[in-house]
Amino acid sequence: MIAYAVSRLLQAIPILFLVSLFAFGMIYLIPGDAATVMGGPEASAADLERIRENMGLNEPFLQQIVSFYVNLLQGDLGQSLMLGTPVLDAIIDRTPITLGISLYSLAVTIVFGLLTGIVAALNHNKLLDQAATLFALIGISLPNFWLALVMIVVFSVHLGWLPTGGYVPFSESPMGWLRTTTMPALALALLQAGLLTRITRSTMLEVLSQDYIRTARAKGLTEWQVIGQHALANVMMPVVTVLGLILSVLLSGSIVIEAIFGIPGLGALMGNAILSRDFPLVQGGLISIACSLLLLNIVVDVLYFWLDPRVRIKGGD
Amino acid sequence: MMKTRKARLALLSTAVAGLMSAVGSVSAQETFECPKVGGDLIVAVESGIPTLDQHTTSAGATRNIAMNIYESLITRDADMSPVLDLATNMDVSDDGLRYTFHLREGVTFHNGKPMTSADVAASFARYKEIGGNRSNLDIVETWETPDDNTFVLVLKQPQATFIENLSTYTVPIVIMPAEEAAKGVGEVDIIGTGPFKLVEFVPDSHVLLERFDDYVASDVQPGLSGFGGHKQACVDTVRFRMITETGARMAALETGEVHIATSVPATSKPRLEALDDVTLVSRLQGVSMGYPNFSRSPTDNLLVRQAMAAAINAEDIIFAASDGEYELEGALQYPSQAYYSTAGLEYYNQNDPDKASALLEEAGYDGEPVILLATQQFQWSYNAALVMNEQLKVAGFNSEVSVLDWPTALATSQNADGAWNFFFTVWTSTVQQGGPIALRNFADPNNVFTPPNNEGPAEFNAIFDRVENGATLEERIAAFGEGQEYAFENVLGITFGILRATEGLRPNVRGYKSFTNVQVSNIWLDD
Repeated sequence: MIAYAVSRLLQAIPILFLVSLFAFGMIYLIPGDAATVMGGPEASAADLERIRENMGLNEPFLQQIVSFYVNLLQGDLGQSLMLGTPVLDAIIDRTPITLGISLYSLAVTIVFGLLTGIVAALNHNKLLDQAATLFALIGISLPNFWLALVMIVVFSVHLGWLPTGGYVPFSESPMGWLRTTTMPALALALLQAGLLTRITRSTMLEVLSQDYIRTARAKGLTEWQVIGQHALANVMMPVVTVLGLILSVLLSGSIVIEAIFGIPGLGALMGNAILSRDFPLVQGGLISIACSLLLLNIVVDVLYFWLDPRVRIKGGD
Repeated sequence: MMKTRKARLALLSTAVAGLMSAVGSVSAQETFECPKVGGDLIVAVESGIPTLDQHTTSAGATRNIAMNIYESLITRDADMSPVLDLATNMDVSDDGLRYTFHLREGVTFHNGKPMTSADVAASFARYKEIGGNRSNLDIVETWETPDDNTFVLVLKQPQATFIENLSTYTVPIVIMPAEEAAKGVGEVDIIGTGPFKLVEFVPDSHVLLERFDDYVASDVQPGLSGFGGHKQACVDTVRFRMITETGARMAALETGEVHIATSVPATSKPRLEALDDVTLVSRLQGVSMGYPNFSRSPTDNLLVRQAMAAAINAEDIIFAASDGEYELEGALQYPSQAYYSTAGLEYYNQNDPDKASALLEEAGYDGEPVILLATQQFQWSYNAALVMNEQLKVAGFNSEVSVLDWPTALATSQNADGAWNFFFTVWTSTVQQGGPIALRNFADPNNVFTPPNNEGPAEFNAIFDRVENGATLEERIAAFGEGQEYAFENVLGITFGILRATEGLRPNVRGYKSFTNVQVSNIWLDD
């Protein structure tokens, strides 16, 4: 299994190189830079040129790309123009915030998505199945930014249960953290839970129609044994794949939700870095997101390896 | 309205004399003292803060915060008149070449270091190098620091509008410690002399300010007035929360999580007005306008530009741009301002598609695309572009809207070869400050309409020179009218109207004065 994980890690290197090259090249493809944003709408072209010069944005392409890769190989992602701090520090500071909300959201997704999917499959074509399908459809159909705004109106403005936004670190106040992250986590989770419900339901229905399930039932196993010991293990294969995808979406796709709730996470950081044309931060953020997604994929692959004997055999273990 | 304008005229014409004798003139009024001290004020602002390095940016979002931390030698008061701030008085030599500023005594920076003329000189040196409006200092030959409390600016030649230019707050010359002034763009530690000091700045989240207990206030005016006057920090802390999503910002105001929320949209006003615990304060925000690209066909052709101006129904555009919160006024000054002129307003809001079609025919327009460059990040840009696009089509233009994110759109508009023919913007601080500042963006070298070789019309530049250097205020005002008329007739820009801005306040916020930027001094919180 270790050899398998190492080989997957090695395969990630060229992908990371391509991502970093894309991140760097992007600067030269889109107009506007940090000087444009910093100077504001009433700055003249001459003013902007001077700001560029002072910020070192005027250096030749070759010089910039060489120093970018030399620094990258030394683990230095550069200095953020917006924050005035090392990019790596900014990412390390913000990652726990986004990761915390993503994991909270993932937990909600798993509980709701898996349970609803299983219940729906076990009650195929009955009222519970239809209710679960409706829930999944609503989850998939509602844009999460809209849901977030509706939640603010209901839970903050009308009921006064939760704050409209902001963020309290867990270390400062666990209850404060829970209060400030619940709505963002739920807003992010609903779509994913809908997706997971559908996947779980359809996979479970397919598994339940397999011969080995019929055999298990014929052996006289109870329904719970059939589901728990035989069906779930096979349902987990596609579900793990989807969960990996869901976590990657949650990690990289929280820009809008973080902006709505004013959460200083990785998503908000990246969103502002793009709007401020803080290219070192955008580059660093893309590379770190790519790293985390690659790592996540490797974890999912290793989980496959562990869950599915067929992969083990193919992998030569 | 006329009375107000006359009052403004008198105010401006006596500005310098008033500045020189300002100290003794306020003793009759009682100096502001905080009725209540303490509390944590929370302000929800609508946009992220690009930087707090105030020398480098014209962004209002930066001024909202930085101008509570920093101060300038001379700034603008609530009426937009120049007012001394870090200086207590100013002497001007008879030949108009030497401006001697006597600094407010006992002022210390937030790091505890006393402020001296050396810090002022270092701040001016930094601004001259990297400052956003450093061309304002081109007229300055040198500066001197005869002693710790005196700073002298020596001009190359007299300039009637020097004090107006020096006191501009678009990119103000704020004073920072000399050791900070030695640093590059965005590298400074944010240390000023203002009533609040910086505690924490998380650019995409919040800024936390704290009362500076050793603050020594100006006595030039008895209370807060614009960026100047007698400032006092009545609250312990101020937290600026960046809540970019309008719905979330309004909800935070409604629930009382924030005390002040900026940019209340017109659509939210009826609901908020119905609440007992929210007060709305409205003010003029800026002139919604746009300008053509002089280097790109077909807007390089005067007749085509004039056809554009003729085709426009400004009322429909400003209505869409503002959701109905506007003043139908086409001048480059507000009617209450000294430089206000109606010259050239016959070219405003023409709404004459037939005239536009005739002009297009005369120009030999062959259906070349006309690209209206806008951004969806600002309603005043996107909505204005959509409506204008339809109006141009009716007149026979082959127009299209190009929608980009704001930095891309802005950068594209600054490129003469860029894919744009008309760019939408709002002039706020430039219009508010009046005089040459309001026309500067049409004059060389700041011309925004990207003329070939960066050389704008010589005739306009000559008029602008008279706006800037006319011997008397009357001459400068007359020249301003000429400049405005030239700008509209030759379509250096097209105005749509004045946008209004609204702030929402909770009832326990007291002493709030609506101004172009959020001022948190002299505000106290009731229980």
